[in-house]
Amino acid sequence: MSNADIALMAHLMRRAGFGATRDELEAAVAKGYEATVEELLHPGDPQDLPQDIIRRYHTEQAELRLSDGAAANWMYRMITTQNPLEEKLALFWHSLFATGYVKLNQANALLNQIQMFRTYGLGNYATLLVELSRDPAMIIWLDNNDNHKEAINENYGRELLELFSMGIGNYTEQDIKECARAFTGWTLGNAEYMSTRASRDSIWPYSRINWHFQYRDHDHDDGEKTFLGETGNFNGQDIVEIIARQEATARFVSTRLFQFFAADEVDEDGETVIEEMMKSYFDSGYEIRSVLRTLFNSDYFKSEKARWARVKGPVELVIGAVRMAGSYREPTPGIEQVARQAVYMGQGLLQPPSVEGWHEGIEWVDSGALVERINFVAHELANVQNPGVRRIIDRLAGENGGTFTPEELVDRCLDLVGPVEVSDDTKAALIEYAGLQGDVSLANSDEGDESEQRVAGLLSLAAATREYQLA
Amino acid sequence: MVSSGREKNLVIIQLTGANDALNTVVPYNNGLYYDFRPNVNMAAEDLLPLNDELGLTPHAPEVKSLWDRGKVALINGIGYANPNRSHFRSMDIWHTAEPDKIATEGWLGRAVKDMDPQGENVLTAVNFGRGLPRSLASRGVPVASVGNLETYGLFPDVDDDQQKKYTLEAFARMYGPDRSRDPVLESLGQTGRDALRGADILRTAPERYSSSIEYAQSGIAQSLKNAAQVMFADLGTRIYYTSVGSFDTHGGELPVHAKLWDDVSAAIGDFYADLEEHGYQDDTLIFVWSEFGRRIKDNGSGTDHGAGSIAMVIGGEVNGGMYGRFPSLEEAEQQEGDLRANNDFRSTYSTILERWIGLDAPSIVNGQFEQFEFISK
Amino acid sequence: MSTQASPKQLTLEYVKTIGLATNQTGRGFVNPYDVAVGQDGRIFVLNHCDSARKNLIRVGIVNLDEDYLGEFGSGAGTGDDQFSSPVAMVFDSKDRLYITDELHHRVTIFDSSGNFLDKWDTKGSGSGEFNGPAGIAIDSNDNVYIVDQHNSRVQKLTSDGKFIAEWGEFGSGPGQFNLPWGIAVDKEANVYVADWRNDRIQKFTTDGAYLASFGESGDGDGQLNRPSGVGVDDEGFVYVADWGNERLQVFAPDGSFVLVERGQATNSKWAEDYLSVNLEEKETREISNLVPDLPPHLNTPQHISAQTEPYFWGPVSVRFDRDGRLYIPESNRHRMQIYQRK
Repeated sequence: MSNADIALMAHLMRRAGFGATRDELEAAVAKGYEATVEELLHPGDPQDLPQDIIRRYHTEQAELRLSDGAAANWMYRMITTQNPLEEKLALFWHSLFATGYVKLNQANALLNQIQMFRTYGLGNYATLLVELSRDPAMIIWLDNNDNHKEAINENYGRELLELFSMGIGNYTEQDIKECARAFTGWTLGNAEYMSTRASRDSIWPYSRINWHFQYRDHDHDDGEKTFLGETGNFNGQDIVEIIARQEATARFVSTRLFQFFAADEVDEDGETVIEEMMKSYFDSGYEIRSVLRTLFNSDYFKSEKARWARVKGPVELVIGAVRMAGSYREPTPGIEQVARQAVYMGQGLLQPPSVEGWHEGIEWVDSGALVERINFVAHELANVQNPGVRRIIDRLAGENGGTFTPEELVDRCLDLVGPVEVSDDTKAALIEYAGLQGDVSLANSDEGDESEQRVAGLLSLAAATREYQLA
Repeated sequence: MVSSGREKNLVIIQLTGANDALNTVVPYNNGLYYDFRPNVNMAAEDLLPLNDELGLTPHAPEVKSLWDRGKVALINGIGYANPNRSHFRSMDIWHTAEPDKIATEGWLGRAVKDMDPQGENVLTAVNFGRGLPRSLASRGVPVASVGNLETYGLFPDVDDDQQKKYTLEAFARMYGPDRSRDPVLESLGQTGRDALRGADILRTAPERYSSSIEYAQSGIAQSLKNAAQVMFADLGTRIYYTSVGSFDTHGGELPVHAKLWDDVSAAIGDFYADLEEHGYQDDTLIFVWSEFGRRIKDNGSGTDHGAGSIAMVIGGEVNGGMYGRFPSLEEAEQQEGDLRANNDFRSTYSTILERWIGLDAPSIVNGQFEQFEFISK
Repeated sequence: MSTQASPKQLTLEYVKTIGLATNQTGRGFVNPYDVAVGQDGRIFVLNHCDSARKNLIRVGIVNLDEDYLGEFGSGAGTGDDQFSSPVAMVFDSKDRLYITDELHHRVTIFDSSGNFLDKWDTKGSGSGEFNGPAGIAIDSNDNVYIVDQHNSRVQKLTSDGKFIAEWGEFGSGPGQFNLPWGIAVDKEANVYVADWRNDRIQKFTTDGAYLASFGESGDGDGQLNRPSGVGVDDEGFVYVADWGNERLQVFAPDGSFVLVERGQATNSKWAEDYLSVNLEEKETREISNLVPDLPPHLNTPQHISAQTEPYFWGPVSVRFDRDGRLYIPESNRHRMQIYQRK
């Protein structure tokens, strides 16, 4: 199996998942690229850490009173799932349909929304938008509970068009009003009490009460509406059907998927890929699975151009490091601190700063965030007790008689934490660091001895490179 | 006033969880207070009287002694119209100076940008705690968040001094200026160098610090001690951010609130004494705020989320005294059972920004607001 | 109100609810995991606390009239009055309170005023050592039975900690355990173990000889989903906190199903206090239906209990007082529902 195959598979797994260990990469390469893409696009049993085990040992994930517990719960799933794309795509939808705890004070409903992304996220975009419109967390987040037959609140209608489907410039202010009218009556059960509790952050008397959708026929404006040039007694589903067939929608969703999965910046070749994705969108009847298949199998995605063309987001970085280290695979006190770590790096899961989501790309990394990123990853990879680190050390011990020159060791460490391709300067710095104590021999090393510590130290330094900050 | 020629420092103490204003500054001659607070009240005889009507919680003796010296401005009835009683949302409103829509940029982040537009000093604002308070968030504004000043920086897990030195040297080289044409990699390099520089500078602060003040052991006292260390090291830091809590006293309020104020007041007392020992008291302003006050009626054991709050501004140059009006407890004057705010928190922000730091306030706080006289023009 | 009459002539009458959520010390509970009633009738409630409120770990003391009488224990830590993950507690005949901590591998003993008396805290798998002590029960001779969850066994000790017996190993056969949790002892000193991940209750003699097992995986009558707590009344009826199904079930002495109870909590005195000063919530609560019909995708027991406020949510334990009242603490609702057998 060639290094190029491994590098390409590592690229796919960084984008369609949270990176992969060398064992996982080798298994995937053996299966083949397109077969692996199909497997990613057809998630089966996630085989993640079971919820009963989690709830027994993590009370905060049973009660789901605060966002930290809910974020940690999602992180367990990201860390242990066999369906990485399912979670990565849920993260994409979460950043696109950014719904935040700050206004809801209802973590359980947010996790239900994430589950909805898993259920519908690879399917028909119109179905997804209908489910989104019925999602109680979204309803409170964008005030659709205040959107009444006699007095519309156009917040949801506006964002549905601007941020969730077509983008600004493709509709009129009148379309927004008509859209809002169509969604009157789409609210949540006990809306008055639930919104009062949300607005007061109340856990009284007996903790949170989760939410469910409710349609209030008597509060729905059933009158005639004209939306994007079509006229009828539209309800919300009808509006979404009209939205889904717009070219602007196809372009919008394809572009956002491209930027999340392929490259932060769209160049001319990227535009061509987006055109192909749009074609798949229409050919398949708005299936996100087809759009992603087109992207992952495109020459552009597989080319050097797309390689390292994204800055890793904090959650990607954290989950990637934890999956590589093999830690947190069982109930572990402190998992909520892992969720906090992503907050310190600028991405609080379930806490996007606004409905516009996070500013991605290089804006992820300011000096404070960089310190947090490097320290977190170093902490995970420098611990030779972590199963994933052990696996790397054991693998190295079996290669080359277990003995490495500084140059060899640097190459192997960069390979096994990625592979990561680094600049000559970076490589020289790593070799100099590795060379301070000469060759390293793992042939007869004991767990945690100096040789192992040196390897672990180098692994964490390899993951502290600027190149490692990229996906 | 004799100018020391120093830049003006601003120290923020955020009381998270919503401090009970009514049990902090207590209208002890008002029968309504005791009517509404049959279970969770402060006995008049225990209070530290501020005047004939209001008394300070007995758990803030250090603040009281600064008050007696005229160093404390108490801002009563502070808040905003249409109060939001959710902690996070109301904190965000205070952080972003934007009550009406969801904003992402912090008022102090914008202030830092105005103070240091080129981002030349990575330490203009330092947060003592983990994460970035929204107040300090602003695109392109670097903020150091210091959990523990002694161990702050890269690779805190590497204990061995020699190893640490090698590791940091390797890091410096990996993030050195390079010939890369890639703007993203170059930006990462610059960020890495900034981070290294900030940590190198900050680490010197404890070494250079000496003081006769023994700070209390509480978290807030230790944070303020770290702030003093950074301040006296003269690193160009202007904004010092800390928070303490939780003041969310729905139940068992009296002992919890007492302990919190014991800690906060002692910490302020230690910090102010340290400022005086080092001659920084006239160059430093301490601003204490909380996202809202608590309900006027108690719930049998504690108090629930309310509206109007109090804030404190403390410093050598402060014109001590009462600002704002103390809100009425009359039912007709209440705001849905809460103290009704009578001055917008952005009046206090504006006063601090313009009169203390010397910045143009309206662009930072999103509008023109009447200023207070707790700082002279 | 009472649940439907059963073929076994046992009904449960709902008595009341005590509790209220809190984020501070003092009145209210934080993820209550267990209840123990002292000889003077005072009710001790073990506040397990989620990770964000570990500083509030404590034992709260109340009475049936809902007066908050005090508390002891000082949050997370390794001190003698501190805990990391307290799971269960029980009084002996001398009114000494034994509390397990599954992360400290410790059993701590207090007097009924909350003074520290003793602790057993050797981690390991040898006799008298623990790995994750969870449920705890005491027989009429003051022998102490402790579920040693990660060692997949029950240990029987004297009240001063001397090892008497142990039984169990990992597995799903008779006498084997998979992450066992709660435990109870009946009048004859037979021992009942909530074999949590095997979805069953196992019954043993006082020395650990296997007698019977009942329950199987499922959500039907007599089926169990991760039972966490178990209690036995004087006539041998067995009460199970069917944790994964968010309900209480009662079995006859022969192990046959008697009844199921989803919960019928009402406002405690403290809840009424809260609502009386938070009228926005009280008024909108009064026009709400807190037992709603839910869409199919929210029809798991957890989803239902998370939005059906009167139902049990996180029922961890089942304990009796001397008058035969039944206490079910609910971790996720910060209260306990009290029932009386008829």
